[in-house]
Amino acid sequence: MSFEKKVQRLEEIVRALESKDLSLEKGLKLFEEGITCLRDASAELSKAEAAVQVLRERTDGILEATDLRA
Amino acid sequence: MNPRPARTATSSTGRSSASQPEPDALALFEDFDAETQAPPAPARPEGRARRPAGRSDEPGLSPESAISVATLTLATRDIIEGAVEPLWVRGEVVGLKEHRKGHWYFTLKDENAQIRCVMWATDARRALAAPDEGMTIIALGKLTVFAARGELQLRVLRIESSGDGLWRKAFEKIHKKLEAEGLFAAERKRPLPLLPSCVAVVTSTDGAALHDIVSVVQRRCPITRVVVAHAIVQGEDAPKSLVTALHRVARWGQADVVILGRGGGSREDLWAFNDERVVRAAAGMPVPVISAVGHEVDVTLCDLAADHRAATPSAAAEAAVPRLTDLVRHVRRLGEDLRDCANAQVESARQRLAAAGVGIARAASHRVERGRLTLEGIAGRLHALSPLATIARGYAVLTDDKGETVTSSSALAPGDAFVARVRDGRIHARTERTELLGEDQVE
Repeated sequence: MSFEKKVQRLEEIVRALESKDLSLEKGLKLFEEGITCLRDASAELSKAEAAVQVLRERTDGILEATDLRA
Repeated sequence: MNPRPARTATSSTGRSSASQPEPDALALFEDFDAETQAPPAPARPEGRARRPAGRSDEPGLSPESAISVATLTLATRDIIEGAVEPLWVRGEVVGLKEHRKGHWYFTLKDENAQIRCVMWATDARRALAAPDEGMTIIALGKLTVFAARGELQLRVLRIESSGDGLWRKAFEKIHKKLEAEGLFAAERKRPLPLLPSCVAVVTSTDGAALHDIVSVVQRRCPITRVVVAHAIVQGEDAPKSLVTALHRVARWGQADVVILGRGGGSREDLWAFNDERVVRAAAGMPVPVISAVGHEVDVTLCDLAADHRAATPSAAAEAAVPRLTDLVRHVRRLGEDLRDCANAQVESARQRLAAAGVGIARAASHRVERGRLTLEGIAGRLHALSPLATIARGYAVLTDDKGETVTSSSALAPGDAFVARVRDGRIHARTERTELLGEDQVE
Protein backbone atom coordinates (compact mmCIF):
# COMPACT_ATOMS: atom_id res chain seq x y z
CA MET A 1 0.00 0.00 0.00
CA SER A 2 1.41 3.40 -0.95
CA PHE A 3 1.97 6.11 1.62
CA GLU A 4 -0.96 7.95 0.13
CA LYS A 5 -3.28 4.96 0.51
CA LYS A 6 -2.20 4.50 4.11
CA VAL A 7 -2.92 8.12 4.96
CA GLN A 8 -6.25 7.92 3.15
CA ARG A 9 -7.16 4.76 5.05
CA LEU A 10 -6.15 6.41 8.27
CA GLU A 11 -8.37 9.38 7.53
CA GLU A 12 -11.24 7.02 6.74
CA ILE A 13 -10.74 5.17 10.00
CA VAL A 14 -10.72 8.39 12.00
CA ARG A 15 -13.92 9.48 10.27
CA ALA A 16 -15.56 6.12 10.97
CA LEU A 17 -14.53 6.23 14.61
CA GLU A 18 -15.88 9.74 14.92
CA SER A 19 -19.33 8.55 13.96
CA LYS A 20 -20.97 7.31 17.14
CA ASP A 21 -23.03 4.48 15.73
CA LEU A 22 -20.27 1.95 15.73
CA SER A 23 -20.09 -1.17 17.87
CA LEU A 24 -17.26 -1.27 20.37
CA GLU A 25 -15.91 -4.41 18.78
CA LYS A 26 -15.89 -2.86 15.31
CA GLY A 27 -14.38 0.31 16.72
CA LEU A 28 -11.52 -1.55 18.38
CA LYS A 29 -10.84 -3.47 15.20
CA LEU A 30 -10.68 -0.20 13.24
CA PHE A 31 -8.45 1.31 15.88
CA GLU A 32 -6.00 -1.56 15.58
CA GLU A 33 -5.95 -1.17 11.82
CA GLY A 34 -5.46 2.57 12.24
CA ILE A 35 -2.50 2.04 14.53
CA THR A 36 -0.89 -0.25 11.96
CA CYS A 37 -1.42 2.33 9.20
CA LEU A 38 -0.07 5.04 11.43
CA ARG A 39 3.04 3.06 12.29
CA ASP A 40 3.73 2.25 8.62
CA ALA A 41 3.14 5.80 7.46
CA SER A 42 5.35 7.21 10.19
CA ALA A 43 8.06 4.72 9.29
CA GLU A 44 8.03 5.97 5.70
CA LEU A 45 8.46 9.52 6.85
CA SER A 46 11.50 8.66 8.90
CA LYS A 47 13.44 6.96 6.14
CA ALA A 48 17.08 7.88 5.60
CA GLU A 49 17.96 10.73 3.29
CA ALA A 50 18.25 9.62 -0.31
CA ALA A 51 21.15 10.36 -2.60
CA VAL A 52 20.92 11.81 -6.09
CA GLN A 53 21.49 9.16 -8.70
CA VAL A 54 21.82 8.87 -12.44
CA LEU A 55 19.89 6.35 -14.47
CA ARG A 56 22.30 4.67 -16.84
CA GLU A 57 21.84 1.95 -19.36
CA ARG A 58 24.54 -0.68 -19.26
CA THR A 59 25.86 -2.21 -22.45
CA ASP A 60 23.76 -5.31 -21.73
CA GLY A 61 20.66 -3.14 -21.75
CA ILE A 62 20.05 -3.32 -18.00
CA LEU A 63 19.15 0.00 -16.40
CA GLU A 64 20.80 0.93 -13.15
CA ALA A 65 20.78 3.97 -10.92
CA THR A 66 24.19 4.95 -9.62
CA ASP A 67 25.23 7.85 -7.46
CA LEU A 68 25.67 11.06 -9.44
CA ARG A 69 29.02 11.98 -7.97
CA ALA A 70 30.44 8.48 -8.06
CA MET B 1 17.86 16.53 -62.45
CA ASN B 2 18.84 14.57 -59.41
CA PRO B 3 19.42 16.05 -55.99
CA ARG B 4 23.05 16.79 -55.63
CA PRO B 5 24.85 17.02 -52.36
CA ALA B 6 26.21 20.37 -51.39
CA ARG B 7 29.69 21.06 -52.46
CA THR B 8 32.01 23.47 -50.85
CA ALA B 9 33.80 26.15 -52.70
CA THR B 10 36.21 24.90 -55.25
CA SER B 11 39.88 25.02 -54.77
CA SER B 12 41.95 26.92 -57.20
CA THR B 13 42.17 23.83 -59.33
CA GLY B 14 38.38 23.60 -59.56
CA ARG B 15 38.45 19.88 -58.87
CA SER B 16 35.85 19.91 -56.15
CA SER B 17 33.50 17.66 -58.06
CA ALA B 18 36.12 15.11 -58.95
CA SER B 19 34.54 12.44 -56.79
CA GLN B 20 30.92 13.26 -57.54
CA PRO B 21 29.14 10.53 -59.51
CA GLU B 22 27.30 12.94 -61.72
CA PRO B 23 27.59 14.35 -65.20
CA ASP B 24 30.29 16.90 -65.46
CA ALA B 25 29.91 19.78 -67.81
CA LEU B 26 33.56 20.05 -68.67
CA ALA B 27 33.78 16.36 -69.34
CA LEU B 28 30.87 16.71 -71.70
CA PHE B 29 32.64 19.63 -73.24
CA GLU B 30 35.19 17.16 -74.49
CA ASP B 31 32.93 14.19 -75.07
CA PHE B 32 30.10 16.00 -76.85
CA ASP B 33 27.83 13.58 -75.11
CA ALA B 34 25.07 15.53 -73.48
CA GLU B 35 22.48 12.83 -73.97
CA THR B 36 24.00 9.95 -72.01
CA GLN B 37 25.41 12.19 -69.28
CA ALA B 38 27.93 9.53 -68.41
CA PRO B 39 30.44 8.51 -67.29
CA PRO B 40 31.62 10.91 -64.60
CA ALA B 41 34.95 12.39 -65.25
CA PRO B 42 37.15 14.76 -63.32
CA ALA B 43 36.47 18.40 -63.76
CA ARG B 44 38.99 20.46 -65.49
CA PRO B 45 40.31 23.72 -64.26
CA GLU B 46 37.68 26.31 -64.94
CA GLY B 47 40.24 28.46 -66.65
CA ARG B 48 40.15 26.11 -69.56
CA ALA B 49 36.73 27.30 -70.67
CA ARG B 50 38.04 30.78 -70.94
CA ARG B 51 40.96 29.99 -73.05
CA PRO B 52 41.70 32.68 -75.54
CA ALA B 53 40.08 32.26 -78.90
CA GLY B 54 42.12 31.39 -81.86
CA ARG B 55 42.49 27.62 -81.67
CA SER B 56 39.66 26.51 -83.89
CA ASP B 57 39.91 22.86 -82.84
CA GLU B 58 38.73 23.73 -79.32
CA PRO B 59 34.96 23.07 -78.86
CA GLY B 60 32.81 26.11 -79.44
CA LEU B 61 35.55 28.28 -80.78
CA SER B 62 34.62 27.84 -84.40
CA PRO B 63 31.47 27.07 -86.30
CA GLU B 64 32.81 23.60 -86.91
CA SER B 65 33.27 22.86 -83.24
CA ALA B 66 29.91 24.34 -82.10
CA ILE B 67 28.74 22.92 -78.79
CA SER B 68 25.25 21.80 -77.76
CA VAL B 69 22.99 23.88 -75.51
CA ALA B 70 23.27 21.20 -72.87
CA THR B 71 27.00 21.43 -72.92
CA LEU B 72 26.81 25.18 -72.54
CA THR B 73 24.35 25.20 -69.68
CA LEU B 74 26.03 22.37 -67.85
CA ALA B 75 29.38 24.03 -68.24
CA THR B 76 27.86 27.22 -66.90
CA ARG B 77 26.41 25.29 -64.01
CA ASP B 78 29.76 23.88 -63.13
CA ILE B 79 31.43 27.22 -63.32
CA ILE B 80 28.82 28.82 -61.09
CA GLU B 81 28.76 25.96 -58.61
CA GLY B 82 32.50 26.00 -58.44
CA ALA B 83 32.73 29.73 -57.96
CA VAL B 84 30.18 30.44 -55.23
CA GLU B 85 30.04 29.06 -51.73
CA PRO B 86 26.65 28.36 -50.11
CA LEU B 87 25.14 31.70 -49.15
CA TRP B 88 22.43 32.90 -46.82
CA VAL B 89 19.85 34.77 -48.89
CA ARG B 90 16.94 36.79 -47.59
CA GLY B 91 13.77 37.06 -49.63
CA GLU B 92 10.04 36.66 -49.79
CA VAL B 93 8.61 33.26 -50.65
CA VAL B 94 6.34 33.15 -53.66
CA GLY B 95 4.49 30.28 -55.28
CA LEU B 96 5.70 27.41 -53.14
CA LYS B 97 4.74 24.05 -54.60
CA GLU B 98 5.38 20.76 -52.93
CA HIS B 99 6.25 17.86 -55.19
CA ARG B 100 4.61 14.59 -54.28
CA LYS B 101 8.01 13.26 -53.30
CA GLY B 102 8.44 16.08 -50.82
CA HIS B 103 10.62 18.49 -52.83
CA TRP B 104 9.74 22.15 -52.56
CA TYR B 105 9.83 24.53 -55.51
CA PHE B 106 9.44 28.24 -54.93
CA THR B 107 10.69 31.67 -55.86
CA LEU B 108 12.55 34.01 -53.58
CA LYS B 109 12.03 37.61 -54.46
CA ASP B 110 12.40 41.13 -53.34
CA GLU B 111 11.43 44.40 -55.00
CA ASN B 112 13.95 44.22 -57.77
CA ALA B 113 14.81 40.61 -58.39
CA GLN B 114 13.83 37.04 -58.02
CA ILE B 115 15.41 33.63 -58.16
CA ARG B 116 13.95 30.18 -58.55
CA CYS B 117 14.62 27.88 -55.63
CA VAL B 118 14.47 24.17 -55.06
CA MET B 119 14.67 22.37 -51.72
CA TRP B 120 15.07 18.63 -52.01
CA ALA B 121 12.87 16.44 -49.86
CA THR B 122 15.76 15.36 -47.61
CA ASP B 123 16.40 19.00 -46.73
CA ALA B 124 12.75 20.05 -46.70
CA ARG B 125 11.98 17.35 -44.16
CA ARG B 126 14.38 18.93 -41.70
CA ALA B 127 12.74 22.34 -42.03
CA LEU B 128 10.41 23.41 -39.22
CA ALA B 129 7.54 24.00 -41.60
CA ALA B 130 6.83 25.00 -45.15
CA PRO B 131 6.93 28.80 -45.41
CA ASP B 132 3.71 30.58 -46.21
CA GLU B 133 3.17 32.68 -49.30
CA GLY B 134 4.77 36.06 -48.81
CA MET B 135 6.72 34.99 -45.72
CA THR B 136 10.18 36.46 -45.54
CA ILE B 137 12.74 33.78 -44.97
CA ILE B 138 16.47 33.39 -44.83
CA ALA B 139 17.64 30.52 -46.98
CA LEU B 140 21.03 28.88 -47.06
CA GLY B 141 21.51 27.82 -50.65
CA LYS B 142 23.96 26.88 -53.31
CA LEU B 143 23.74 28.71 -56.56
CA THR B 144 23.38 26.45 -59.56
CA VAL B 145 21.87 26.31 -63.03
CA PHE B 146 18.79 24.34 -63.89
CA ALA B 147 19.94 23.18 -67.30
CA ALA B 148 16.56 22.01 -68.58
CA ARG B 149 15.34 25.59 -68.42
CA GLY B 150 18.59 27.45 -68.58
CA GLU B 151 17.61 29.13 -65.31
CA LEU B 152 19.71 30.31 -62.46
CA GLN B 153 18.54 28.37 -59.41
CA LEU B 154 19.19 28.37 -55.69
CA ARG B 155 19.38 24.92 -54.25
CA VAL B 156 18.19 25.58 -50.70
CA LEU B 157 19.69 23.52 -47.89
CA ARG B 158 18.13 25.19 -44.88
CA ILE B 159 15.52 27.83 -44.25
CA GLU B 160 14.84 30.01 -41.27
CA SER B 161 12.10 32.53 -40.91
CA SER B 162 13.10 36.13 -40.54
CA GLY B 163 10.69 36.52 -37.61
CA ASP B 164 8.94 33.76 -35.67
CA GLY B 165 6.71 32.84 -38.61
CA LEU B 166 8.11 29.39 -39.21
CA TRP B 167 8.25 28.53 -35.51
CA ARG B 168 4.65 29.56 -35.03
CA LYS B 169 3.56 27.68 -38.09
CA ALA B 170 5.37 24.53 -37.05
CA PHE B 171 4.04 24.85 -33.50
CA GLU B 172 0.48 25.29 -34.69
CA LYS B 173 0.70 22.39 -37.08
CA ILE B 174 1.89 19.93 -34.40
CA HIS B 175 -0.44 21.45 -31.83
CA LYS B 176 -3.44 20.97 -34.08
CA LYS B 177 -2.52 17.40 -34.87
CA LEU B 178 -1.89 16.31 -31.28
CA GLU B 179 -4.88 18.18 -29.94
CA ALA B 180 -7.07 16.36 -32.42
CA GLU B 181 -5.72 13.12 -30.96
CA GLY B 182 -6.70 14.29 -27.49
CA LEU B 183 -3.16 14.40 -26.15
CA PHE B 184 -3.79 17.65 -24.31
CA ALA B 185 -7.22 16.74 -22.94
CA ALA B 186 -7.93 17.62 -19.32
CA GLU B 187 -9.26 14.10 -18.68
CA ARG B 188 -5.81 12.69 -19.36
CA LYS B 189 -4.25 14.66 -16.52
CA ARG B 190 -3.35 12.45 -13.59
CA PRO B 191 -3.01 13.61 -9.99
CA LEU B 192 0.50 13.80 -8.62
CA PRO B 193 1.42 11.36 -5.84
CA LEU B 194 1.35 12.74 -2.30
CA LEU B 195 4.73 11.35 -1.36
CA PRO B 196 6.80 9.96 -4.23
CA SER B 197 9.56 7.69 -3.08
CA CYS B 198 11.42 8.35 -6.32
CA VAL B 199 11.39 11.35 -8.67
CA ALA B 200 12.96 10.90 -12.10
CA VAL B 201 14.35 14.01 -13.74
CA VAL B 202 14.80 14.06 -17.49
CA THR B 203 17.18 16.90 -18.22
CA SER B 204 20.83 17.60 -18.82
CA THR B 205 23.14 16.58 -15.97
CA ASP B 206 25.13 19.73 -16.82
CA GLY B 207 22.24 22.17 -16.60
CA ALA B 208 21.20 24.52 -13.83
CA ALA B 209 17.73 22.97 -13.88
CA LEU B 210 18.98 19.76 -12.30
CA HIS B 211 20.74 21.66 -9.54
CA ASP B 212 17.57 23.62 -8.78
CA ILE B 213 15.40 20.53 -8.70
CA VAL B 214 17.77 18.56 -6.50
CA SER B 215 18.17 21.37 -3.99
CA VAL B 216 14.41 21.88 -3.68
CA VAL B 217 13.72 18.15 -3.25
CA GLN B 218 16.47 17.77 -0.68
CA ARG B 219 15.24 20.77 1.26
CA ARG B 220 11.56 19.83 1.20
CA CYS B 221 11.62 16.08 1.26
CA PRO B 222 15.07 14.58 1.69
CA ILE B 223 13.72 11.03 1.89
CA THR B 224 12.63 11.17 -1.76
CA ARG B 225 15.13 9.71 -4.14
CA VAL B 226 16.08 11.76 -7.20
CA VAL B 227 17.22 9.86 -10.27
CA VAL B 228 18.42 11.75 -13.32
CA ALA B 229 18.07 10.46 -16.84
CA HIS B 230 20.46 12.61 -18.82
CA ALA B 231 19.32 14.10 -22.10
CA ILE B 232 20.59 16.67 -24.53
CA VAL B 233 18.06 19.48 -24.19
CA GLN B 234 18.77 21.68 -27.16
CA GLY B 235 19.91 21.41 -30.74
CA GLU B 236 19.29 18.92 -33.46
CA ASP B 237 19.99 15.86 -31.31
CA ALA B 238 17.79 16.96 -28.44
CA PRO B 239 14.46 15.39 -29.49
CA LYS B 240 15.90 11.93 -29.94
CA SER B 241 17.89 12.21 -26.75
CA LEU B 242 14.87 13.36 -24.73
CA VAL B 243 12.74 10.55 -26.12
CA THR B 244 15.41 8.00 -25.26
CA ALA B 245 15.70 9.32 -21.71
CA LEU B 246 11.92 9.29 -21.20
CA HIS B 247 11.70 5.75 -22.49
CA ARG B 248 14.54 4.74 -20.22
CA VAL B 249 12.66 6.08 -17.19
CA ALA B 250 9.47 4.33 -18.29
CA ARG B 251 11.29 1.03 -18.79
CA TRP B 252 13.09 1.33 -15.46
CA GLY B 253 9.71 1.63 -13.77
CA GLN B 254 10.76 2.78 -10.30
CA ALA B 255 9.91 6.45 -10.56
CA ASP B 256 6.60 7.66 -9.13
CA VAL B 257 6.68 10.97 -10.96
CA VAL B 258 8.80 12.47 -13.76
CA ILE B 259 10.07 16.02 -14.13
CA LEU B 260 10.84 16.87 -17.76
CA GLY B 261 12.56 20.13 -18.40
CA ARG B 262 15.40 22.56 -18.67
CA GLY B 263 16.19 26.09 -17.65
CA GLY B 264 15.07 29.05 -19.66
CA GLY B 265 16.27 29.81 -23.13
CA SER B 266 15.33 31.25 -26.46
CA ARG B 267 12.51 29.85 -28.51
CA GLU B 268 15.06 28.00 -30.56
CA ASP B 269 16.72 26.54 -27.45
CA LEU B 270 13.40 25.21 -26.21
CA TRP B 271 12.24 23.91 -29.56
CA ALA B 272 12.91 20.24 -28.75
CA PHE B 273 10.06 20.44 -26.24
CA ASN B 274 7.71 21.12 -29.14
CA ASP B 275 8.98 18.18 -31.14
CA GLU B 276 6.18 15.77 -31.88
CA ARG B 277 8.22 12.73 -30.80
CA VAL B 278 9.10 14.29 -27.46
CA VAL B 279 5.53 15.41 -26.82
CA ARG B 280 4.24 11.93 -27.59
CA ALA B 281 6.83 10.31 -25.34
CA ALA B 282 5.89 12.67 -22.50
CA ALA B 283 2.18 11.99 -22.96
CA GLY B 284 2.82 8.25 -23.03
CA MET B 285 4.64 8.01 -19.72
CA PRO B 286 3.20 5.46 -17.28
CA VAL B 287 3.53 7.86 -14.32
CA PRO B 288 2.55 11.52 -14.02
CA VAL B 289 4.81 14.01 -15.78
CA ILE B 290 5.58 17.52 -14.61
CA SER B 291 6.92 19.78 -17.33
CA ALA B 292 9.29 22.57 -16.43
CA VAL B 293 10.54 24.23 -19.55
CA GLY B 294 12.04 27.66 -19.39
CA HIS B 295 11.06 30.58 -17.28
CA GLU B 296 8.90 33.08 -19.07
CA VAL B 297 8.66 31.98 -22.66
CA ASP B 298 5.57 30.75 -24.41
CA VAL B 299 4.04 27.47 -23.45
CA THR B 300 5.59 24.41 -25.09
CA LEU B 301 3.67 21.41 -26.35
CA CYS B 302 5.31 19.32 -23.62
CA ASP B 303 3.74 21.69 -21.11
CA LEU B 304 0.35 20.99 -22.65
CA ALA B 305 0.84 17.24 -22.74
CA ALA B 306 2.20 16.95 -19.20
CA ASP B 307 0.00 16.12 -16.24
CA HIS B 308 1.19 19.22 -14.47
CA ARG B 309 2.93 22.32 -15.74
CA ALA B 310 5.44 24.26 -13.70
CA ALA B 311 6.94 27.60 -14.65
CA THR B 312 10.43 26.71 -13.50
CA PRO B 313 12.41 23.62 -12.55
CA SER B 314 12.22 24.73 -8.89
CA ALA B 315 8.44 25.01 -9.10
CA ALA B 316 8.32 21.56 -10.68
CA ALA B 317 10.26 20.13 -7.75
CA GLU B 318 7.89 21.83 -5.31
CA ALA B 319 4.94 20.27 -7.11
CA ALA B 320 6.64 16.87 -7.15
CA VAL B 321 7.36 16.47 -3.45
CA PRO B 322 5.54 17.60 -0.30
CA ARG B 323 7.20 19.41 2.54
CA LEU B 324 8.16 16.52 4.77
CA THR B 325 7.56 18.49 7.98
CA ASP B 326 3.97 19.17 6.85
CA LEU B 327 3.44 15.52 6.22
CA VAL B 328 4.92 14.50 9.55
CA ARG B 329 2.60 16.97 11.26
CA HIS B 330 -0.38 15.68 9.34
CA VAL B 331 0.33 12.06 10.21
CA ARG B 332 0.96 12.94 13.83
CA ARG B 333 -2.37 14.75 13.98
CA LEU B 334 -4.07 11.75 12.41
CA GLY B 335 -2.52 9.59 15.11
CA GLU B 336 -3.86 11.92 17.80
CA ASP B 337 -7.27 11.92 16.17
CA LEU B 338 -7.18 8.16 16.07
CA ARG B 339 -6.41 7.88 19.79
CA ASP B 340 -8.96 10.54 20.67
CA CYS B 341 -11.57 8.73 18.67
CA ALA B 342 -10.73 5.40 20.22
CA ASN B 343 -10.84 6.91 23.69
CA ALA B 344 -14.14 8.54 22.90
CA GLN B 345 -15.45 5.20 21.70
CA VAL B 346 -14.36 3.43 24.86
CA GLU B 347 -15.71 6.24 27.04
CA SER B 348 -19.03 6.17 25.23
CA ALA B 349 -19.16 2.40 25.64
CA ARG B 350 -18.41 2.77 29.36
CA GLN B 351 -21.19 5.30 29.71
CA ARG B 352 -23.56 3.04 27.89
CA LEU B 353 -22.55 0.22 30.18
CA ALA B 354 -23.05 2.36 33.30
CA ALA B 355 -26.42 3.53 32.07
CA ALA B 356 -27.38 -0.05 31.38
CA GLY B 357 -26.34 -1.00 34.97
CA VAL B 358 -28.56 1.68 36.45
CA GLY B 359 -31.42 0.53 34.29
CA ILE B 360 -30.98 -3.06 35.33
CA ALA B 361 -30.90 -2.12 39.02
CA ARG B 362 -33.99 -0.01 38.64
CA ALA B 363 -35.78 -2.71 36.77
CA ALA B 364 -34.75 -5.21 39.41
CA SER B 365 -35.92 -3.09 42.34
CA HIS B 366 -39.19 -2.52 40.57
CA ARG B 367 -39.68 -6.23 40.37
CA VAL B 368 -38.95 -6.65 44.07
CA GLU B 369 -41.47 -3.99 44.96
CA ARG B 370 -44.08 -5.65 42.86
CA GLY B 371 -43.24 -8.97 44.49
CA ARG B 372 -43.59 -7.45 47.90
CA LEU B 373 -47.03 -6.10 47.11
CA THR B 374 -48.04 -9.42 45.66
CA LEU B 375 -46.75 -11.13 48.74
CA GLU B 376 -48.72 -8.79 50.98
CA GLY B 377 -51.86 -9.59 49.05
CA ILE B 378 -51.22 -13.27 49.44
CA ALA B 379 -50.44 -12.82 53.08
CA GLY B 380 -53.71 -11.00 53.58
CA ARG B 381 -55.61 -13.73 51.91
CA LEU B 382 -53.64 -16.29 53.87
CA HIS B 383 -54.41 -14.45 57.05
CA ALA B 384 -58.09 -14.33 56.18
CA LEU B 385 -58.05 -18.06 55.74
CA SER B 386 -56.10 -18.72 58.96
CA PRO B 387 -58.02 -20.57 61.72
CA LEU B 388 -56.56 -18.05 64.11
CA ALA B 389 -58.85 -15.47 62.58
CA THR B 390 -61.82 -17.72 63.31
CA ILE B 391 -60.61 -18.12 66.89
CA ALA B 392 -60.31 -14.33 67.09
CA ARG B 393 -63.98 -14.07 66.27
CA GLY B 394 -64.86 -16.09 69.50
CA TYR B 395 -64.50 -19.68 68.36
CA ALA B 396 -62.29 -22.23 70.17
CA VAL B 397 -60.40 -25.30 68.95
CA LEU B 398 -60.46 -28.33 71.26
CA THR B 399 -57.63 -30.79 71.49
CA ASP B 400 -57.62 -33.96 73.60
CA ASP B 401 -54.85 -35.01 75.92
CA LYS B 402 -52.98 -36.53 72.89
CA GLY B 403 -53.10 -33.19 71.08
CA GLU B 404 -55.64 -34.44 68.52
CA THR B 405 -58.25 -31.94 67.42
CA VAL B 406 -61.65 -32.87 68.77
CA THR B 407 -64.21 -32.68 65.97
CA SER B 408 -66.79 -35.18 67.33
CA SER B 409 -68.71 -35.42 70.67
CA SER B 410 -67.85 -39.09 70.65
CA ALA B 411 -64.10 -38.36 70.87
CA LEU B 412 -64.45 -37.51 74.54
CA ALA B 413 -65.93 -39.41 77.44
CA PRO B 414 -67.05 -37.88 80.74
CA GLY B 415 -64.00 -37.14 82.84
CA ASP B 416 -61.60 -36.84 79.83
CA ALA B 417 -59.33 -33.81 79.94
CA PHE B 418 -59.13 -31.46 76.88
CA VAL B 419 -57.69 -28.07 76.03
CA ALA B 420 -59.69 -25.25 74.50
CA ARG B 421 -57.54 -22.87 72.35
CA VAL B 422 -59.06 -19.40 72.39
CA ARG B 423 -57.87 -16.01 70.97
CA ASP B 424 -55.48 -15.17 73.78
CA GLY B 425 -54.73 -18.50 75.54
CA ARG B 426 -55.74 -22.03 76.47
CA ILE B 427 -58.37 -23.32 78.89
CA HIS B 428 -57.65 -26.72 80.48
CA ALA B 429 -60.94 -28.49 81.27
CA ARG B 430 -62.66 -31.92 81.90
CA THR B 431 -65.65 -33.46 80.11
CA GLU B 432 -68.81 -33.54 82.20
CA ARG B 433 -71.00 -35.34 79.68
CA THR B 434 -71.31 -35.73 75.87
CA GLU B 435 -74.38 -35.52 73.64
CA LEU B 436 -74.77 -36.57 70.03
CA LEU B 437 -76.94 -34.25 67.93
CA GLY B 438 -79.38 -35.40 65.29
CA GLU B 439 -78.30 -35.63 61.56
CA ASP B 440 -80.16 -32.45 60.62
CA GLN B 441 -78.10 -30.38 63.04
CA VAL B 442 -74.68 -31.59 61.76
CA GLU B 443 -72.85 -29.42 59.16
